[in-house]
Amino acid sequence: MADQKKPLAGVRILELGPYVALPLTGRILASLGAEVIKVETNKVLDEMNFIPAWSRGGGQPEFQRSKKRITIDVRTPGGLEVFKELVKVSDVFMTNFRRNILDRWGIDFPELRRLRQDIILMWQTGLGGIGPYYTYKSYGILVQHMGGVSLMSGQEGEPPATINTSYSDYHTGVFQPVAIMGALLRRRLTGQPATMESSIFKSGALTAGPAILDYQSNGRMPPRIGNRDPHFAPHGVYQCQGDDRWCAIAVQNEDQWSSFCQVIGNPGWCKEDVFATLKSRQANQDRLDELIGEWTLSLDAEDVMTRLQEAGVPASVVSQGQDLYESDHLKARGFYQSTPYYLADRGNPAYQWERLEGIAGANPPKMSETPMDFGHYSNIGEDNDYVFKEILGMSQVEVDRFTENQSLY
Amino acid sequence: MPFQSPADGVLLPPYRILDLTGPEGVFCGKLLADYGAEVIKVEPPSGDSTRQRPPFIGDDPSSEQSSYFLFYNTNKKSVTVDLEKPEGRDLFKKLIVSADVLIESFPVGYLKSLGLDFDSIQPGNPGLIMASITPFGQTGPWKDYKSTDLIALAASGFMQITGDPDGPPLRQGNEQSHFPGSQHAATAIMGALFYRDMQGGSGQYIDVSMQEAMITYYTDAHPALAWMQRGENVTRVGTNSTLVIPLGAYPSKDGWISAGIITPREWENLSQWMYEVTGNEEILNDDYKGGNQDRAPFNDIITALVIDFTTRFTSDELFHQGQERNLVFIPVNAVSDLLNDPQLDSSNFWFDLEHSEVGTLKYPLGVFDSEEVSPLTKSAPHLGQDNEAIFSELGLSESELATLRNQGAI
Repeated sequence: MADQKKPLAGVRILELGPYVALPLTGRILASLGAEVIKVETNKVLDEMNFIPAWSRGGGQPEFQRSKKRITIDVRTPGGLEVFKELVKVSDVFMTNFRRNILDRWGIDFPELRRLRQDIILMWQTGLGGIGPYYTYKSYGILVQHMGGVSLMSGQEGEPPATINTSYSDYHTGVFQPVAIMGALLRRRLTGQPATMESSIFKSGALTAGPAILDYQSNGRMPPRIGNRDPHFAPHGVYQCQGDDRWCAIAVQNEDQWSSFCQVIGNPGWCKEDVFATLKSRQANQDRLDELIGEWTLSLDAEDVMTRLQEAGVPASVVSQGQDLYESDHLKARGFYQSTPYYLADRGNPAYQWERLEGIAGANPPKMSETPMDFGHYSNIGEDNDYVFKEILGMSQVEVDRFTENQSLY
Repeated sequence: MPFQSPADGVLLPPYRILDLTGPEGVFCGKLLADYGAEVIKVEPPSGDSTRQRPPFIGDDPSSEQSSYFLFYNTNKKSVTVDLEKPEGRDLFKKLIVSADVLIESFPVGYLKSLGLDFDSIQPGNPGLIMASITPFGQTGPWKDYKSTDLIALAASGFMQITGDPDGPPLRQGNEQSHFPGSQHAATAIMGALFYRDMQGGSGQYIDVSMQEAMITYYTDAHPALAWMQRGENVTRVGTNSTLVIPLGAYPSKDGWISAGIITPREWENLSQWMYEVTGNEEILNDDYKGGNQDRAPFNDIITALVIDFTTRFTSDELFHQGQERNLVFIPVNAVSDLLNDPQLDSSNFWFDLEHSEVGTLKYPLGVFDSEEVSPLTKSAPHLGQDNEAIFSELGLSESELATLRNQGAI
């Protein structure tokens, strides 16, 4: 039986919510074999159907594949009724809506627990589901600034660096499967369910890391030091031949420094006293970076990387999309895989959207015994029949009635 | 291994996890230890090198007071074993038999050279789950390439989208590469444990590439798809977006504030508020109304007007007063702000951990809050503090331990 190789076979998870973090959690659990039922509506599309804007929907397989995708408008009485029937047959319910919105729709955690006593609840928000900001609206790309990392990123004396992604979302998205699987194990062993509240703010703040302890102990704020490092030099990215091409180089010790010098042909400056030790290289880093930059500027970034790595010096191209897409290394590991997606169109229900071919990244863990499923990518509503009829036992007449009155739409 | 139920108020059963990782995987064991697993850090007799890593608590560079070590090793135990010595390896093999999970991040092939790779050790413990977290994974042409935090940020492409379009790609200041590989490995380990113990499955081996893990942490930008579909490389956009106007970080009276105006309604609210405060009618210009992209041609003037507005308020004032007007202003926090944040304070995020030498500090442990379960609250271990307890449990006598000590194996 195929199911024997799936860690979470037999676990059913009900997911309600858009964007990145929550859908990513569902996708990971689905790749481990859980049946993840994704509740959406054609009436209010997840903005991730339009991010990145140039590929309307091309990013969605990253977050939604392997799931059973159904359309329910939980704001309608009929939709809410069907949603509650699904709660009764699910092991986990997870959502990322704020309490004021769930209240407006009539979704109330104590009631869900009455419907299914041992259900595990994962409630994720941007800033926090409880506490003083619980009603606050937020956008993921801004919440990255709240966790403390922006202010320690960037060039000395310049504004904090912004990352063109809502990366804190991903931390949340990959923390939550650990918590949910832990709660499932615990429920099997103790019979007790759990309710867990998480936020992108909390996940982001945790990644501020040891600086939190340093501040408490020494009152020191982490400075912005660009690409430099307190422990290593040279340490930075150096411009290479071509458009926006860079290679990162990190020399960690004296052996690597001497290998580095050898790779660049042992120019006279390598032997200058000002570069003889880590301390002196750090003290003269501006000049050091300039000299290295003169060497890299006439070379291909790949060439710089290969020459240095072959000599045992840590170096890497700053990967652009083309590098990732064409990477022999990622190809050898089967990282990018083909997947269909559907061209998002606000004017039409999803079943009318055009089907196109795109790519998505495989699940990073390669598990020898239970390989994580890349998964089938369903369009929005594609699994309505399976879920409403086979799981809930609704008749075609009922499904039609609820579809016509736009409850299941 | 027969396993136990989690203790009262704890999420995970006390699974025994042997942690041999360096920075590439150190967060994986921490995450599982914080939530209840028995994670044993296996260190060389001289101690894990990050014990010596600055900055130190009280700026005192004595062993065991590295803030890095303290942060990444909460709730772990510590034993010392010299894997380079045959006596050490024999002892370690006994330890493996008692374990549920082994995590490691050595250069590819190193454990095999010691006879400690998965194929060699699993026969002694068929339920064993082993996870390797390495810069480029166990296979492929780059598998032996060296890496650091900077190299990982470069190889994954994270840096390509961090910073200003006119400047170099930038590194994040928090050593971001510590998290994605470790977090993905933790999910796979949990899945493997569930498979073994709830589905009657066997143990298994897990290979995690930090590069791949980090690529999955910015898929909303999707550079590979952009290249495939458009032949364009996604790049840096700087502090302020050029697509959504205004969106980005702006100076305030006391620091920085970020803001994002996405909907036409939000623009109405913001422009009205800016007019009330500055008295400058320019902001009400009809040309600026509409969706966020409609303002793209007026980016410079609008950004200047926004800065004239934001610099009249503290970040906190904009954050809270913005919400009253249905506008999203988000503070650009420093670590000092985090420690005083009322939201984090209200949701069991901070835990006081006591350490015999450094005293009590606040640690961020509560990635989720629950009435039923909480993280454990032990600070990072002293070097080899659990040698006796754990090795005697394996059946070693006092005299055998003394011999191993003399041989330098523990």
